[in-house]
Amino acid sequence: MADPANTKLGRMLLDQISPAVMVLRTPFVEDSCRRNNLSLIEMLSPYSTFNNIDVPVRTASDQPYRLRKFKFRLFYNSDIRQRSTEAAKERLKQVITHAGDKEISDLCSRQAGIESVITTSAQDLVPSWFQNFNKELINAAAFSEHEGFDHPVACLVAVSSKDKDPVGKFVDLFNTTQLPHLLNDGSMDPKILKYYLLVHDNQEGIQEKATGILAEMRSTFGASDCRLLCINSSVDGTEEHQQNSWASHENSASNEKQFGCFLNKDDIEELRNTMHDFSSKHIIPLMELKIRVLNQQVSATRKGFRNQIKNLWWRKGKDDVPENPSAPMYTFNSTESQIRVLGDYAFMLRDYELALSNYRLISTDYKLDKAWKHYAGVQEMMGLAYFMLDQSRKDAEYCMENAFTTYAKIGSSCGRNVTRCGIWWAEMLKARDQYKDAAGVYFRISGEEPLNSAVMLEQAAYCFLMSTPAMLRKYGFHLVLSGDLYEKCDQIKHAVRTYRGALSVFKDTAWSHIRDHVHFHIGKWYAILGMFDEGIKHVLEVLPCGHQDKLTQELFLSEFFQIIQETGKTFEVLTLQLPVINFPSIKVVFEDHRTYVSPAAANVEESLWQALEEDMTPSIAGLKSNWLELQSKVLPKKYKESNVCIAGEAIKVEVSFRNPLQIPISVSNVSLICKHSTESDKSDPASNGSLDEDKNDTGLRTVSVIGETSTDASLFDLSEVNISMQGGETVLIQLTVTPKVEGTLKLVGVRWKLSGSVIGICNFQSDIVRKKVAKGKRKPKKSLKDNLEFLVIKSLPRLEGTIHSLPRTVYTGDLRCLTMELRNPSKTPVKNLKMKISHPRFLDIADQEVVNLEFPTYLKKQAISSRSCTIFDAPKTAKTVFMFPENIASSWQTPVKWPLWFRAAASGSISLYITIYYETEDVSSIIKYRTLRMHYNVEVLPSLEVSYRVSPSPSGLHEFLVRMDATNRTSSQNFQVHQLSCVGDQWELALLQPIGPNLSLGFLMAGQSLSCFFRLKNCKTRGSTEDKMSSLAKGIADVRLVGSESSGLFDTSVSPFDLFHHQERLHQERHDKGDGNTVDFILIAEAQDDSDAEPPRTTAEILSHYTCHCRVGSSSPVWWSMEGPRSASHDFSSGFCEINLNMTVYNSLEDAVSVRINTLDSLPRSNSITKTASVSGYEYGWHDISHLTDAKVTPDSMGGRVGKALSPESVSSFIWSGSCSTRINLEPLSSAEVPLQISVFCEGTFDLSNYSLQWNLRAGDGGDDGNESRVRSGSCHGRPYHITVLQKEQS
Amino acid sequence: MASTACFMIVSKNDIPIYEAEVGTVPKKEDAAHQHQFILHAALDIVQDTAWNTSAMFLKSIDRFNDLVVSVYVTAGHILSFVMSD
Repeated sequence: MADPANTKLGRMLLDQISPAVMVLRTPFVEDSCRRNNLSLIEMLSPYSTFNNIDVPVRTASDQPYRLRKFKFRLFYNSDIRQRSTEAAKERLKQVITHAGDKEISDLCSRQAGIESVITTSAQDLVPSWFQNFNKELINAAAFSEHEGFDHPVACLVAVSSKDKDPVGKFVDLFNTTQLPHLLNDGSMDPKILKYYLLVHDNQEGIQEKATGILAEMRSTFGASDCRLLCINSSVDGTEEHQQNSWASHENSASNEKQFGCFLNKDDIEELRNTMHDFSSKHIIPLMELKIRVLNQQVSATRKGFRNQIKNLWWRKGKDDVPENPSAPMYTFNSTESQIRVLGDYAFMLRDYELALSNYRLISTDYKLDKAWKHYAGVQEMMGLAYFMLDQSRKDAEYCMENAFTTYAKIGSSCGRNVTRCGIWWAEMLKARDQYKDAAGVYFRISGEEPLNSAVMLEQAAYCFLMSTPAMLRKYGFHLVLSGDLYEKCDQIKHAVRTYRGALSVFKDTAWSHIRDHVHFHIGKWYAILGMFDEGIKHVLEVLPCGHQDKLTQELFLSEFFQIIQETGKTFEVLTLQLPVINFPSIKVVFEDHRTYVSPAAANVEESLWQALEEDMTPSIAGLKSNWLELQSKVLPKKYKESNVCIAGEAIKVEVSFRNPLQIPISVSNVSLICKHSTESDKSDPASNGSLDEDKNDTGLRTVSVIGETSTDASLFDLSEVNISMQGGETVLIQLTVTPKVEGTLKLVGVRWKLSGSVIGICNFQSDIVRKKVAKGKRKPKKSLKDNLEFLVIKSLPRLEGTIHSLPRTVYTGDLRCLTMELRNPSKTPVKNLKMKISHPRFLDIADQEVVNLEFPTYLKKQAISSRSCTIFDAPKTAKTVFMFPENIASSWQTPVKWPLWFRAAASGSISLYITIYYETEDVSSIIKYRTLRMHYNVEVLPSLEVSYRVSPSPSGLHEFLVRMDATNRTSSQNFQVHQLSCVGDQWELALLQPIGPNLSLGFLMAGQSLSCFFRLKNCKTRGSTEDKMSSLAKGIADVRLVGSESSGLFDTSVSPFDLFHHQERLHQERHDKGDGNTVDFILIAEAQDDSDAEPPRTTAEILSHYTCHCRVGSSSPVWWSMEGPRSASHDFSSGFCEINLNMTVYNSLEDAVSVRINTLDSLPRSNSITKTASVSGYEYGWHDISHLTDAKVTPDSMGGRVGKALSPESVSSFIWSGSCSTRINLEPLSSAEVPLQISVFCEGTFDLSNYSLQWNLRAGDGGDDGNESRVRSGSCHGRPYHITVLQKEQS
Repeated sequence: MASTACFMIVSKNDIPIYEAEVGTVPKKEDAAHQHQFILHAALDIVQDTAWNTSAMFLKSIDRFNDLVVSVYVTAGHILSFVMSD
């Protein structure tokens, strides 16, 4: 460790534990000094400190040593007493306030980072006024009667030469009434050294008079104790001093005054000599002498074994004496006081060994006396003596702690002593690099006095900072604690200073409450100091405090607005986080050659549109690669890189604002910030409220005029939006900018006004934005920065289109005629209109004349009889582009209307995309063509669920039974099944029986289901074989289900029915094509007119349900039918009866087959088996071998079916006659007739089902190549054919 | 008797993960930030102490007035603070 005397504490002790000199003076002396703007003490004090006085001193034991540094303190007699609490407080407050005023300039400076705080040396960081403050605190504890070092050792009596009777004045001044109570009440020896100083003012008179007085004084008081001091020798009072000794006093006086202006060199020299003489010839020898005398006395009374025993004995007896608070416990001539004074004098003369031994001696005495204050004082001095001796650290600390706790125990009366002791203790620890412990001591000093505590806590904070390793968090915490206390004492400047220090620790902390607290308070205090810019900056930090509770949020916000209000200005804030902008969601929508009908269309993925437009738009490669193209037509490189937009057409930017607070906020005047530059003034881009780059870093600036944009109104229009946001709400705002002039437009950012007082600005191009934003319209590799620049080109025609009354929600099958309306507001002609629809199954193009017809009535049969039934060339329109006729609109004065068919083909949510392509006539433009993109969403609800089952009718070869099951799947809607049609001329459809009474008024109610049967006849097959059906009347393919008359039937062979039928066929196409015998059904239903439906429909709503590829016919490809009489009468008496039957066999395959018909005379296999075999289609070649058990298990069904149980043993009552096996060859799609005959032996009803058909494909047919899975052969059992033979009545 | 207690989990990088005021004392306005301050300051002590001891539970490691901070340090140096009076 360094020399203790050179440490800070050492210097402090030298400064503060030094001999005190009482000064008595007359008013004239003071007046003379006042000429120099100094008091007498102020004038003398610079010369009372000696760095090298070099006075030889001897210790009590006659050890000589030389005193180098020496200082004595001067006090007026009136000041030698303990200050009142109020006065002390006031003084401290002054020091602090003064320090605060001095440092205010630093508060605006830039915030230092924590790294720099650590690296800065402690001296730079710790405020210098701490020393002054600590000194004041220590001084406040001075002149206590329990300590000796504050007791004046000498008295300086000053009288002016102007005074009348100066010698008499000298005597008068040392009058007991004016002396401090310390001298009067016996705490100290009233007989002290007096030094008589005659002050002569050279301005007032000549020196002779003074010399005379001096002579008189010398004769009265003794030669050595008198001295003449001449001052104010300077004539004009303009003396300048190179080394101004009084600089330290400048605080207390105003700066204009010149200190010592009347003191010339000689005066100063005389001052110095006077004080040197006073100290070296009077004070030091006196103290030395006194030490010797006291030491002898103490040795005599207290040293030695006998004295100690005596002392102890005597002390015991004193135990019960109560301490008298009014009078001092120990008078100056008591042994205790003498020892104490001896110690103090020794301490002041650097004889620490002697001092320590005496302190030790007295310490136990005081303890035994329970004189705690004296005890603590002695302990304190012991600690300091240990320190100065650089001996046992432990002892030093123990003594200091002991003193501290003892003082603290005494209570509030010793508050100042506690503070002083603590400061010394802390300094001692600091001198030994025990900063952490020092911080603890400072923390302990901080008591109830807030101002003191604030300073102590701040010092504690710096101790934490200086400890190794630096305890930054503690540093910050204690600074905050101290700042809060400063604020309590209205020391806002200091509060801000401490918080600023804390901010360097807490700046980017994740501890949100801490961060908010620090920022909020520092901001608030800055505002109180009138530094609104700084204040706003800090309060801004806490505005997006979603984690705080509602009350705190309200507090923050109101404080912020209050600050703003106080400034009376409108601020633009770059970092306003209220509301928060969600950067990834920023979306820019602009229209170049792509135009959109609705925002929804713009949100659709670009690739979807591109796929849709692929075969419609000219390819981009084709545009550029052709060398014949003019150079000017090729886009300049610059244009290719930036986006193109068209003058007069808005660019939309979607910004999502989020309110992080729980309280509602109002945001107004939300608009974009744009920069527009035309070609001509490229160098000087017209800016619009854009941020000047140099101001960006401040993040805050004042705007005088809010309507700054007015200058640019001619260049572009901006939209403004006002919103109010609820707590936690996220609002998507669409902002638009409409450029008016060609040039370059740049989107710079967005601005808004919070609660009508603060303008927030968010720059899109700041770094935070750049990395985050992804935009819909461009390739991802392009950053937003590129996307925010637009090349504005001159205006182009832009078509607008709508589809009127496109329903949002429909039932499946709903068929409507819609009108698409195209407008061209610019009236500039466009050409080559093309249209493409993404889902032709749902939406298709109708003929234009449909517009004028009444839907759906014109679709009814009688209405269209006059029209030519041209079959629409469906396949052509299916996938390709629809070209509008060239003359669609000669001039665009009126909107073009074009009808569209809409049919809700399937339930679910359907997105329809329609794109219309058109070219502009202007060839010079960069954009040659444009597309109009429309997007609609339609919700399709399930309505009727229809299924069909077609099975061959036993009664006819080309007849089928159709069973239709319709179920109403809706919850409320009723439908009227209107008509069932099958598509194609070859079909004839008839209702087997009228639809039952279970339908009320023909309506299928919600949830109800309906089954009905139809007979379906294939006319074509019959006709084609004979080739005579060319112009046979068409079969009646339509059946009216409800109502008897056939007048209201719809013609399903025309558009839109056939149009959608084609689409449905494509859609419902089956993978197993089967044999091609399929039929397509169209069920047309009408929705019941709900009166409460919105909007009320004017016409009946038509629903059409298509079911395609219903397989016709049985499972077998070979059909047959038995023809013959159903009953016969025969006279069995004349023999058996022969009945001829005819079997027609039809080959429905495309290949030739050979069919063998086997008649079996044994019993047929169970009827039930044949039945099941025909139902399911997979049992070719499947033979049932367990029919007997089956028959036994289900006797009822067998019996019921056959009429009587046939046992295997029973003899058949009829036999097949003729060949038992016939084989025929059948050509494809042809039929043949096979004659059969049975012989019946008795009367009865017979089931002629005991035959079978076996078919196989004819070998060598090459039609089935590659189709391995195809069934090549099969067998069918006979179908029941009942014949009744009766006994012929004999006539 | 009403007691103040605050429980907090702090990650390795001094980022608070979880925070709960569990005392019976009615919630005060400034309690939240005060507790954060105390616990945050205690981190300094924890960092010093945690490496000098093999114990994981550091009882009464720091105190502020009558609030005592104890901490459980996991092997991954995640700190669970308990503060009570």
